[in-house]
Amino acid sequence: MENGEASNSLSRRQLLRMIGATAGSGAMYQAMSSLGLAAASTYEGPIDLQGAPRGASVLVLGAGMAGMTAAYELRNAGYKVQLLEYNARPGGRNWTLRGGDRYTEMGGHTQQCEFDKDLYINPGPWRIPYHHHGMMHYTKLLGVPLEPFFQVNYNAYLHSSAAFGGKPQRFREVKADYQGHVAELLAKATRQNSLDASVTKEDQEMLLESLREWGALDSSYAYTASGASSDRRGYERSPGGGLSGRPIPSKPMALHDVLDSGLWSGVANGDTFDMQTALFQPAGGMGRIGEAFGRELGPVIRYNAKVTDIHQDERGVTVAFTDTREQGAPQTARADWCLCTIPLPILAQIPMNVGQAMASAISAVPYAAAIKAGLQFKRRFWEEDEKIFGGITYTDLPIMNIGYPNTGFQSGGKGVLLGAYVWGLRAMEFTAMPPPERLKKVVDYGSQIHPQYHKEFENGVAVAWHRVPFTMGCFGMWTAATRAKHYDDLCQIDGRIALAGEHASFLGGWQEGAVTSALDAIGRLHQHAVAQGEKA
Amino acid sequence: MRNDASSFALLLWVGVGAALSAHADSPLFTSRATLSSLSGEQIYEHICQGCHMPGGQGAAGAGAYPKLATNKNFVSWRFVALTVLDGRNGMPPFGFPEGQGMRSGPSHLTDAQIADVVNYVRGHFGNAYKAEVTAKQIAALPHPAAELIGPQ
Repeated sequence: MENGEASNSLSRRQLLRMIGATAGSGAMYQAMSSLGLAAASTYEGPIDLQGAPRGASVLVLGAGMAGMTAAYELRNAGYKVQLLEYNARPGGRNWTLRGGDRYTEMGGHTQQCEFDKDLYINPGPWRIPYHHHGMMHYTKLLGVPLEPFFQVNYNAYLHSSAAFGGKPQRFREVKADYQGHVAELLAKATRQNSLDASVTKEDQEMLLESLREWGALDSSYAYTASGASSDRRGYERSPGGGLSGRPIPSKPMALHDVLDSGLWSGVANGDTFDMQTALFQPAGGMGRIGEAFGRELGPVIRYNAKVTDIHQDERGVTVAFTDTREQGAPQTARADWCLCTIPLPILAQIPMNVGQAMASAISAVPYAAAIKAGLQFKRRFWEEDEKIFGGITYTDLPIMNIGYPNTGFQSGGKGVLLGAYVWGLRAMEFTAMPPPERLKKVVDYGSQIHPQYHKEFENGVAVAWHRVPFTMGCFGMWTAATRAKHYDDLCQIDGRIALAGEHASFLGGWQEGAVTSALDAIGRLHQHAVAQGEKA
Repeated sequence: MRNDASSFALLLWVGVGAALSAHADSPLFTSRATLSSLSGEQIYEHICQGCHMPGGQGAAGAGAYPKLATNKNFVSWRFVALTVLDGRNGMPPFGFPEGQGMRSGPSHLTDAQIADVVNYVRGHFGNAYKAEVTAKQIAALPHPAAELIGPQ
């Protein structure tokens, strides 16, 4: 699509650059998400794999969401299934760090998670949109309880270190004021007959009425300090009871201040398809899904197995692996078919006899940098002092996001924040630091938004995805050009080998991409197996 | 994770040099404004060593990041330069035209910077390849095509 729309594309690029220059990267992200295709799940209900040939077998590589979805369905369809997993646990990127966990990254730094009981951080995925139907199906099937995930919290902050003296602004105020001023301007243009050429007189009346409602304008279509505007942006003194309860309206920010701050870029953060209410998180951490899948699959999964060679012949696939706990000779596993979900940076280094098309595709997908940090504080000051219950603060500081726990409200005692969720160049820079330095920077930057940080901070963990031994990156990044050239080759079955994972989806970085990619691949593998079975 | 992406969304997730703020208030963080002024050594320390590790020691997990120290492949400056420009096996490319690239993506380095970082790694970590590469030589190599972020 990029070739045929040169002029279009240019203006889009200019727009992105403009947004990037004035606003945080959250804005850039939102803009890019909304300009791209809406990412809808293709999940259409439980897969039907009837008629598996008697005795047919599949070897699945990788016990992440893709591999375990595939293993679960293939096993239930009657295939003999073995699953090899590098880690000592199921889940892959579906992963939660809790107190007592140890994590050693590539390069050798070990972090000991010292969180209190029931506190955790999800270093990888942390939210499930309601329309990720595959994920919703499997969490229900596995009995994993879900809690609401607050993508938008009107009382959390939008923060620019270059605006409002670096003071964070409540999302509620920025949204109300941006919307109110825009409504006032449009109402003014309408009443000055500037829209006569494009809107009929009758529609103009409706438009004016809708602008008054949408923007909380007063009777003369102005956005002013009033009961109406305060009912959006909050009051100077909120309504209450008795003699002390008379509300005092708050004063909106000036249009110039809203525009100049760039904070308007965060207003649509909950409007993109993937971020629209409702979103969910598994109670106890995202890793609960992987753990439940692991229990369900039981002995099907062999842990601590590092794949070293994948070789197919006319009758099956042989995979060599070593046990990561021993220095023993490689062992082998063999099956009629192989579904490989190993992340591409790793798979690219494993000898595998597939055609040049798939081999080229495997090497063509760079993986994104990302870091997340979990910080434990002595008390939940964001709730106690600032009345922020769940949701996300966005900032132009290198930490980019602060995520507040969406559970355990008012529980007293300690709490764990997502102190940073970072991508792009800054994630690479965080990755290049030793973990203690990452944490120190996260706490320093976060204290610019929450001054309580230094006094209340206890301990933390910082996971940099390029140093995660089992993925070597966060997720596969495609461009229009690499999609056009390699995507189909990556997904086509090569002999007896099929690939799956978020990297083989249009939902890059989302667990739903892994699930739908696995179902798509095993559906096609099943057809091959049935066809072969009939021949035999 | 974009998707929040990712997911992640996480993930959701992002790019084109990730709209960096205009101020680097820490010497440890650069910005779009200052990225282009980083030397080869600084680029190595800010970016490359995230994977290739301090001292170019490389690292191993389920796969490995190549050790850059005493690396015999470095006899070819083109090999090193093309790797930085295009990426390799999951390594992000750094040769996209400025302001373009991929979501969550890599950042743009100038030809002069790529020359500088190539010279840096070929002249450190036990590598002692003397011939210095110039920006002009880098410019003559194929760069990843200018392309927009496609549908994800």
